[in-house]
Amino acid sequence: MGRRNEQAVMITITVNERRHMLAVPPEATLKQVIREDLGLTGTKSGCDVGDCGACSVLMNGKAVNSCLVLAATCDGAEIKTIEGVADGNDLHPLQKSFIKHGALQCGFCTPGMIISSLELIEKNPKPEPAEIKKALGGNLCRCGTYPRVMEAVGNWQKFEGVELDTDPGEHDERDQERDHSVVGKGVTRYDGPDKVTGREQYTADLKLPDMVHGKLLGSTIAHGLIKSIDTSAAEALPGVLAVITAKDVPEIKYGVSPARYDEHILAVDRVRYVGDEVAAVVAEDETTAEEAVKLIKVEYEELPAVFDPREAIKDGAPQIHPEEEKYANNINTRVEWHFGDVDQGFDEAEVIVEDTFIGNRPFQSPIEPHAAVARWEHHAGKLTIWSSSMAPHYLRHMLNRVFDIPQGDIRTISPCVGGGFGVKAEATPLDLCAVVFARLTGRPVMMKYSREEMVHHFRGRHKQYIDMKLGLKKDGSIAACQSHILLDGGAYTSYGIVTAYYAGSMVPTLYNIPNYKYDGFRMYTNLPASGAMRGHGVPQPRYAFETLMDMAAEKLGLDPFDVRLKNAMQPDTLTCNDLDISSCEFTATLEQAREFTEWDAKRKSLPEGKGIGVGCGGFVSGAGYPIYRSKFPHSNALIRLSEDGMAASLHIAAAEIGQGCNTILPQIAAEELGIPYHRIWLVESDSVLAPTDLGSYSSRVTLMAGNAVRMAAAEVKSQLLKMAGEMLGCDVHGLEARDGKIFVSQHPEVEIAWDEVARKVFSRGGPVTGTGHYSPPPGLGGNYKGAAVGTSPAYSFSTAVCEVTVDLETGYVDVDRFYDFSDSGTVINPVTFHGQVEGGIIMGLGETLMEDTLVRPDGSLVNPDLHGYLVPTIAESPHIISKAVESYEPRGPFGAKEIGEGCLPPILGAIGNAIYDACGVRVTELPITPEKILAGLKRQKEEKRG
Amino acid sequence: MSFGRFNYHQPSTTAEACALGLEYGRKSAYLAGGTELLVDLRSGRKSVCHVISLGGLDELKHITREEDVLRIGALVPLSEIAESAEVKSHFPALSDAIETMAGRQIRNLGTMGGNFCCGVPCSDTPPISCAADAEVVLTGTDGSRTVAAREFVLAPRVTVLNPGEILTEIRFPKQPTGAGASFQRFSLRRGSALAVASVAAWVRMEDRIIAEARIYLGSVGPVPLSATKAADLLAGKNPGDELFAEAGAQAAAEAQPISDLRGSEQYRRDVVQVLTARALTQACERAEGKC
Repeated sequence: MGRRNEQAVMITITVNERRHMLAVPPEATLKQVIREDLGLTGTKSGCDVGDCGACSVLMNGKAVNSCLVLAATCDGAEIKTIEGVADGNDLHPLQKSFIKHGALQCGFCTPGMIISSLELIEKNPKPEPAEIKKALGGNLCRCGTYPRVMEAVGNWQKFEGVELDTDPGEHDERDQERDHSVVGKGVTRYDGPDKVTGREQYTADLKLPDMVHGKLLGSTIAHGLIKSIDTSAAEALPGVLAVITAKDVPEIKYGVSPARYDEHILAVDRVRYVGDEVAAVVAEDETTAEEAVKLIKVEYEELPAVFDPREAIKDGAPQIHPEEEKYANNINTRVEWHFGDVDQGFDEAEVIVEDTFIGNRPFQSPIEPHAAVARWEHHAGKLTIWSSSMAPHYLRHMLNRVFDIPQGDIRTISPCVGGGFGVKAEATPLDLCAVVFARLTGRPVMMKYSREEMVHHFRGRHKQYIDMKLGLKKDGSIAACQSHILLDGGAYTSYGIVTAYYAGSMVPTLYNIPNYKYDGFRMYTNLPASGAMRGHGVPQPRYAFETLMDMAAEKLGLDPFDVRLKNAMQPDTLTCNDLDISSCEFTATLEQAREFTEWDAKRKSLPEGKGIGVGCGGFVSGAGYPIYRSKFPHSNALIRLSEDGMAASLHIAAAEIGQGCNTILPQIAAEELGIPYHRIWLVESDSVLAPTDLGSYSSRVTLMAGNAVRMAAAEVKSQLLKMAGEMLGCDVHGLEARDGKIFVSQHPEVEIAWDEVARKVFSRGGPVTGTGHYSPPPGLGGNYKGAAVGTSPAYSFSTAVCEVTVDLETGYVDVDRFYDFSDSGTVINPVTFHGQVEGGIIMGLGETLMEDTLVRPDGSLVNPDLHGYLVPTIAESPHIISKAVESYEPRGPFGAKEIGEGCLPPILGAIGNAIYDACGVRVTELPITPEKILAGLKRQKEEKRG
Repeated sequence: MSFGRFNYHQPSTTAEACALGLEYGRKSAYLAGGTELLVDLRSGRKSVCHVISLGGLDELKHITREEDVLRIGALVPLSEIAESAEVKSHFPALSDAIETMAGRQIRNLGTMGGNFCCGVPCSDTPPISCAADAEVVLTGTDGSRTVAAREFVLAPRVTVLNPGEILTEIRFPKQPTGAGASFQRFSLRRGSALAVASVAAWVRMEDRIIAEARIYLGSVGPVPLSATKAADLLAGKNPGDELFAEAGAQAAAEAQPISDLRGSEQYRRDVVQVLTARALTQACERAEGKC
């Protein structure tokens, strides 16, 4: 294990029925021994303090957190890890059930989920839902697979003796029938088997020969000047290879957006938040690196700090980036938009409602903390980096910029990513310092964030201070909307420019707003930088808007559905801010939701304490423009056939972060090629093996990578059809490829096997390949400053209805049911589609009701963890009914659009409006905690009395 | 973050464990389930040179009932206690209290001894034990002593344990005829989360009248707090919503909560009021054999 310790404890443990005699250091945990000594990396490391359950193993038949067990105490223990659950090649029925129910996404929590479920079913083969909830309450899943896990565990026995295949389950067909063989079918996830067996590798699971470990030192103060850094004691510690500070790394600023590169790899002269990276150590092992970091002495001159954007904007406030005049008054980004004439609009309004809404600071909290491994190659100037990145292309771009290495000399590999939701979309000091160390030592370097470090690095949601005003005419049509928003950006820009624009640009995409004004100020504060989080910038303004819609409807005596229907966006519309809405079935989502939920009846009949509410939202299907100026196609794909024609390999660089692109892109390829899904191999996320893709952000992959894949497949198919025409002696134009055959459309009996044709093509001309690429339509967006943000080839639309029960004595809210009706174009895979919706609802529920990253008066974080920062567990997971309301998007592959992000913004408003319906309390400050509701109920009582 | 470095000891008898604890004193810590200690070591809240594992002390892993006294060994995992038929039939409120705690994996590791000895205000088993008038047995190099559960914790993370002393057993006395108890807890989510407040109530009914009552509050004071005035207010009265609301208000006044990320002082009092009424309702129902 590489750790130094005089004492070792001899233990004999049986792991997956194999006995091991080991000498372990006293402080080694069972998790470390399993992962590092035995190499069983299916047991994951998420939090190290028993909060997440990812490291669960069975010890003597009981599920335990292996991070909370000292290996020394395990002498004689029988351990079962995820690798020991299957019987050789035959998966346990529970594992098959997880795959078939789509009960996994990023897969990072899956081994722990299965282990905990195993303890349950071995004792109780037919568990009730309540028993499953109790057994799995200690296993957090941030993708929100809980509803499917419930199904998978409840029905595991159905998979006893069943052979695992890739076919869809009986209910996993799309609602609307279209004539496809693979698209629209709920085929099982490509990565399912690897994720249920622990075989899937994430970055922190890698172990390269001779690998060393790096660790970062963060600032302990929120704002100050660095007077001196003494690294001598750290350097003197045996096992330490190097200690670096700003003077040892390239003197260049980096970030996300070229307009605001404002971060240094390691702080130069000034620190701007608690956690700002100051120095880093590389050592033979992780423990030594951690110890060395503690020996670095930094002397600061503390400066006044500011933690509230409302204060930061005032004259005389501490200046966080005084070196740049453009950031005067701590204004990082300023947006001034005015479309139409709001004054005139408000004049025409029958009712005007306005309020101040204060958002919260949700953190993505993926269960996998970031990790990076860098290796300096022996050829001159080449680098390989493995990183838990959602956007490896941007990582490569930034490495190219910072280290001046040509992009072609950098190989980025994204192993499986254990959840992203926006937090892993940019280069981090881990990536950058790992490269510095790899160059310095000539050895592969692993760097990981602890959970606490990850939260300090943050890039979570911007807390927004929103003043919003909405005017409706008598008939319910919107007359005008105006918002003034301060966004708390923290100390650096990250994706924040985009956030500031999105907070305004997406408001007019859902309803027709003739007059709209938005003033946005993204502010610097001495807090960790905010960044892009699922639904980027949109959920909090959407919460404000959907709340005001209900308030206005109430004043007008209209039903919340009626006002939404009145203003609902229609297809082929140019919004007031020049966004080009193509397909749109928003009205249908509203109508179907209203009918299905029996809204009109329930709205009137629910007892006190129970309520029903609606909220709407949507998102872009990929950004119209990349983050930095580039003429590269946004997505690219390469397909190569095997020589025998039985398989096609699809080479793509979009990152699988749980959203399911590694399943739906092969589906698109298979459909277009005309072969079954199971004949596709996937070669992914390696910049040497696959052409560039901008990454898994802004919900872009289905549409953009999907189009590129389809184009590549079409190129291969055309070669095959041409050859088949020759072989069958008929005109190529009348031929069709499907289900592994090529046949004459009009005479399907005239057919030839697909692989036979492919062999012939190969025999004649060598490798059979096709390439595809996609760029959004040129010229999207208007001619005003910031018009690019919000542009997209297509938009999703969603109506969510929720039913809640409010405990009128404590204010606690149980979300009983959620209904989601989403228009995301053609559904490629119903299982991953509904999985995304469910996950969005559960994540949205968390940020509406419980999540908030809290700050102490000195700027340090109160809850950089998973016990003070609460995310939903399986116990809060509501009953969810998700329905696809399909449009056909002409710009999407087979008519598809996005789903992963648009499903979240409606949730906040739906819950808030349902709470109001249940108890008459409106909470305008997120999260809506029981305490705030109870305070509202008390005020209500006082008002009634007084 | 990794733990500091320490030496590891695994005694096989209680006497040996006590001797080691006495020898290393404050530089050492006893390891039971590890769910608190390892978190403290990792966070740096605690740092020790010696970890003394109690895992080898098989004599502390029993649940027995002798002459109606329920004896729970300090090292029995919480999940085992909650599922024990003895506990469920003899004192179901303890099962309830444990079921509200943490996740399954923690309940499989954590012990009741540990839950007491960590002495944190949000521990869930002490309030219900205090309400039941339980005792804890403390064993040291000089022999054993018995202390009332309510006297065990002195201040946050401070207990009556002397160096080299180990909590070996928790004893629940024979429950008199007409006794019933309830544990009510409120947290910010249903799954695994620390309590905002908890209330344990114990009553003894005679002829449908509350003859005797005890109320203990958790997470709203430095130690499990006895809401003595609230309990006194019940004696000799007929159970009923109005009475319980009054007792709840009194208990809320007796609570000594702090404001933190889980709730403000005022909110915690509000919750105590509600939980007290709910706990009394259930305790009386149990006393009358209604559930």
